Amino acid sequence: MTAATGYFRPGHSWLHRRHPLTKVLGLAFVIVAAFLLPPIVLVALLAGVVTIAWSAGLARPLARALRIPALLLLSIIVVNALFFPGAADRLVAIGPVGLSREGLSFGLISAGRLLVAFVASVTFLFTTLADDLLEALVARGASHRVAFVVLAAVQMVPRLQARSRSILDAQQARALPIRGSVIQRARALVPLIGPVVLGSLIDVRERTFALEARGFGARRGRTAYRVVADPPPDRLIRIGLVGAIGAVLVIALTGIAR
Amino acid sequence: MQRTPVEPEALPETPAGLDLSGITVRYPGTRADALADVSVAVEPGAIGGLTGRTGAGKSTLALTAAGFVPRVVRARVTGAASVAGIEVLRAPASDVLGRIGIVFATPANQLSASKLSVREELAFGLENLGVPRSEMDARIEATLDRLGIGHLADREPFALSGGEQQRVAIASIVAMGTRVLILDEPTAQLDPFGTTLVADLLEELARDGSAVLVAEQDPAVLARTRRTTVLDHGQVVATADPAVALSPETLEPTGLPSPTIVRLGWMAGLEPAGRFDLDAVSTRLAAAATAGRLRSSVLANEPNGPSATEPWASVRDQAPVSITIEGLSHRYEATALDAIRDVALTIEPGEAVAIVGQNGSGKTTLVKHLNGLLRPSSGRVRIGGEDIATASIDEIAGRVGFVFQSPDDQLFERSVEREIAFGPRNLGLRPDALARAIEMAVEAVALGDVRSTNPYDLDLSRRKLVALAGVLAMDPAVLVLDEPTTGQDPLGIRRVGAVVDRLRAAGRTVVAVTHDMEFAADHFSRVIVMTRGEVVLDGPPAAVFAAERTALLARAGIERPVAARVGERLGLGSTPTEAALLAALSASVH
Amino acid sequence: MKFDWLRVCAEGQTTDCVGAIQLIYLVAVVVGIVLLALVASRSRDLSTTAISLMPVAIAINIAVGSIVYALRLPIYLDSIGTVLVGVLAGPWAGALTGLLANFIWSILPVPGGAGPTAAFFAPVAGVIGLMAGWWASRGVFRLRADDSRVGGFLALAAGIAGSAIAMLVIQNTIGLSFTFEDNDSQIRFVLLGLLIVAIGVAVAWVSQRTVFAYRDGDPRIAGDLQTATGIAAFALLFVIVRLLFAPTGYFSTINGSDPDGDGPLSAPFGGANLTGLTLTDPTGLIVAIAIGVVVGFLAWQWARRGENARLFPVWIGGLTTGLVAATISAPIAAGVFGGVTGGGTDLLVAAFRTLGLGVFQSAFAQGLTSDPLDKTISYTVVYAILIALPITVRTMFSRGETAVAD
Repeated sequence: MTAATGYFRPGHSWLHRRHPLTKVLGLAFVIVAAFLLPPIVLVALLAGVVTIAWSAGLARPLARALRIPALLLLSIIVVNALFFPGAADRLVAIGPVGLSREGLSFGLISAGRLLVAFVASVTFLFTTLADDLLEALVARGASHRVAFVVLAAVQMVPRLQARSRSILDAQQARALPIRGSVIQRARALVPLIGPVVLGSLIDVRERTFALEARGFGARRGRTAYRVVADPPPDRLIRIGLVGAIGAVLVIALTGIAR
Repeated sequence: MQRTPVEPEALPETPAGLDLSGITVRYPGTRADALADVSVAVEPGAIGGLTGRTGAGKSTLALTAAGFVPRVVRARVTGAASVAGIEVLRAPASDVLGRIGIVFATPANQLSASKLSVREELAFGLENLGVPRSEMDARIEATLDRLGIGHLADREPFALSGGEQQRVAIASIVAMGTRVLILDEPTAQLDPFGTTLVADLLEELARDGSAVLVAEQDPAVLARTRRTTVLDHGQVVATADPAVALSPETLEPTGLPSPTIVRLGWMAGLEPAGRFDLDAVSTRLAAAATAGRLRSSVLANEPNGPSATEPWASVRDQAPVSITIEGLSHRYEATALDAIRDVALTIEPGEAVAIVGQNGSGKTTLVKHLNGLLRPSSGRVRIGGEDIATASIDEIAGRVGFVFQSPDDQLFERSVEREIAFGPRNLGLRPDALARAIEMAVEAVALGDVRSTNPYDLDLSRRKLVALAGVLAMDPAVLVLDEPTTGQDPLGIRRVGAVVDRLRAAGRTVVAVTHDMEFAADHFSRVIVMTRGEVVLDGPPAAVFAAERTALLARAGIERPVAARVGERLGLGSTPTEAALLAALSASVH
Repeated sequence: MKFDWLRVCAEGQTTDCVGAIQLIYLVAVVVGIVLLALVASRSRDLSTTAISLMPVAIAINIAVGSIVYALRLPIYLDSIGTVLVGVLAGPWAGALTGLLANFIWSILPVPGGAGPTAAFFAPVAGVIGLMAGWWASRGVFRLRADDSRVGGFLALAAGIAGSAIAMLVIQNTIGLSFTFEDNDSQIRFVLLGLLIVAIGVAVAWVSQRTVFAYRDGDPRIAGDLQTATGIAAFALLFVIVRLLFAPTGYFSTINGSDPDGDGPLSAPFGGANLTGLTLTDPTGLIVAIAIGVVVGFLAWQWARRGENARLFPVWIGGLTTGLVAATISAPIAAGVFGGVTGGGTDLLVAAFRTLGLGVFQSAFAQGLTSDPLDKTISYTVVYAILIALPITVRTMFSRGETAVAD
């Protein structure tokens, strides 16, 4: 993963070849279904997403990526299991703290939903380059200026992080203590954040000029260099997915499934 | 959506250059004209130069020529500006698009920062102009080819070096079909190697029929201009062949020093055409010296001005210290490579040490160990006999001052004076000592007239001086400077040099990382050359820049100072500075 | 219009119905989409300067986050850039920046970042940017102590105080509780909530037209600002002391029942029994008041120095932004994450649950404890930086001259 492409992993699998919007709809379907349908569906969704990722040769990176939400999922389960409001069915109890059945199931369901959402999102991000997704959105009427903001921000993040490290160094070299009492550390906030903000704002001036010089302010029809492939079956898949999302909404709101 | 792509044939048949006449610019809220009745012209196929002190109006002129003043930057403008066949002062913004290009100093800010490859970066401008997709590839390939940067095509723009980024920025403007290119100090933040590459590119563009206007300080770029205009306080001092424009005579009213090679040629009475040619200068210099016809250089342009003599006075009763480095190695975790290997050095109090070498030779890694910014993987660093391994950076800061390359990584206060006070205040200086420290620091870098100005309202070279003053005010026993001359104008370089001389005179230690060999030779008692993490040469400038070291220095990517090379050609022994050269010259005559 | 088809679960009902949580998801998604559409339509008018500021601001959010992390301070400060865009380029640019920032935070493997979960909180970030822009246009960052607009902020402060007192009174008399399962309690909760807000609005409205009706240059303004700073400091300290030392406060729950100290609540005090620190009333009440008075007096003295009182409106801006942020993020935290977000604030969530609050309430209480503080500090930092804003930058943005202090 280089900083500028995020989670994207170059490849030519069938999933990589899908049009970005097809994958967006797929992701939307999984998330909507995970959060709106009864918890039992989670198992099927998880199996489905993992199968898709596996068939695209992403099983290993997906497994590795699971350590990112691990802490979050664990704390959701633990905090809910141990501290569930109004829990009646206590399995173990120590003082005010106690393991409860309601808490455990609530925690497991919440964590399960997030797990499905995470696995689906990461599979999406693994196979979709932000540049392609945004170009596809721009082709369907989104603002190319907003798309620019996203792409530029993605590149700006590592740059400013490197810069904030230099600033930490530079201000300490001017005898600014960054350890010590909370008040002492809080005093370091402005000397450390100030240069991040002001130095970047000064750069904005030059960057604006550079963008204008490249015709970015032009109010004329923009053309796109990046060609985003849209294979024929994708259209059908998209129609299917929109239908599926609609069906999930109807089922959820009318309570058919309960 | 209406599509009106700019076709190449929509450009005027006979390419027009740049013709500014009688330009006067005044920014709102200021009492003086930023430019007063300035006229500059560059014909297609030529490079026009623009030089002068910071604040002389170079940037304003560049922005006006590119149509940003008054369109984007508010100002009152009179005069006529015909650029690429457009009356830029009056024409609507859409006319200017794609006709006039501009590139500024900071490489990373010149790119869109939204593209993953150089090829796409070049397409960015074409997209905005609405060039049909079918034409893009051909135009991009043609540009890459013509500018000789095809090898960069698939690289990630953000991973390129500064020199490469500047070339890509220029290419991305050229790809739009632009025939007039304006550059505002494009090499200010580049090393000599990057500077040469950019200068080559500009020559290539001019040869191809473009008109190029470049605001610059670097003689390596200005030497290639057809004419150079010298600006001072918004007015034209002279427009002439660069060798004439940069001569001590012409520059005298601006206070700018003349580049060594031009000055030597001028002193020898060489005609302008040969003043950038080392051999011609050397030959003529010897002849003039023998004949006793050597012109004396204008006093204000002496490399070591009078301010350099007075020793730095201590505010904090700081005692001079020595630095001992024993078997120092450093390995970065990310690369798992030794950035420096087994370095051993002893630096005595009162020594001024310049560390030179290519990018990646480990210079900065080495000096970052002097105040604990980096910790040794193995080995030891002692300041005044004390191992600093366990001391925190802010504790060491009381004795070792470190001035970073980029001032924008530390400035945050609302005035220069408050900014300078930040460091000494952290050291707990009492009010009277604090006031004295600020006063001395402000005076040392000559920022007295801007002490209540916001640092960010100053140009980069003065911002660098503010950062230097901020560390000077802490009255350090050891001063470490990282690239103090990069992004600095000639006058600023001279001020930094004076600070080095004064600290040395007071027994303080100065260690500087630099690409500027002339600066190293002029102000430092010892030069250390590094290659691939190791010290390969260490000695006084006269020994390091001696003729027999040329091959070794070349391997380290270093070109010796002009004075040293002239001295060698004349068989005068090792003369690393101009003063040494002239002394040797007069000794050889008598 | 009938909502028969929409079968919200009644008490105890678990089949053939839609859970309240699911409804909250849907409402949140719809609100988010509407916000997004609004922002998108406004974003077409953004200048190139604003557009080139926004990526930088997004990166500032993340970079500042890592600085705060390096300082090991118990705050986030992850919306400095968003607030900055709101101030310099207007509310809609601020909102767009906030929204995009959280999405980008999700798609980038930023070490120490929130991971993909940040995207769920994008609406919160959007509203923060929107409010920052709105407050900036009301002049929070440039009000001098003789500006009549200060009256509005003092009135707002009075309104917030009124609401807080009303809430305390109601909590201690009728009771204020909310459970997803009990429809009656939900209705009571909403009605009482509206009552509390109404009291605040009434207090603010009346006070703005009476005590705080100033004219420009009114000498009373500076004095009132200083007094308000003192009172606010008193109130803050009083509340903190009560939360910690009251008979049912934090220290009363650290009773040594967790010998290893690995429970989220007692983590810093493994095994210690701190119930001895609990002060019984009335002693505790008197101590809290005494500490509050001393700190309030010091704050009042501080506010009399130089331009320090100018910070009061800044704090009101930060406080209200934090309140709104907490209100929006609570249902997201409760609904999507089961109330736990994997950050340091989970300790607070656990603490509130031990005190008997529900999933939603403890998420909300956690938000109310940390967000207003965090946003107040953010606004203060932004104010401190804006003081040093160079003219070069100020003239670059159309709002630079009007929203920023000089």
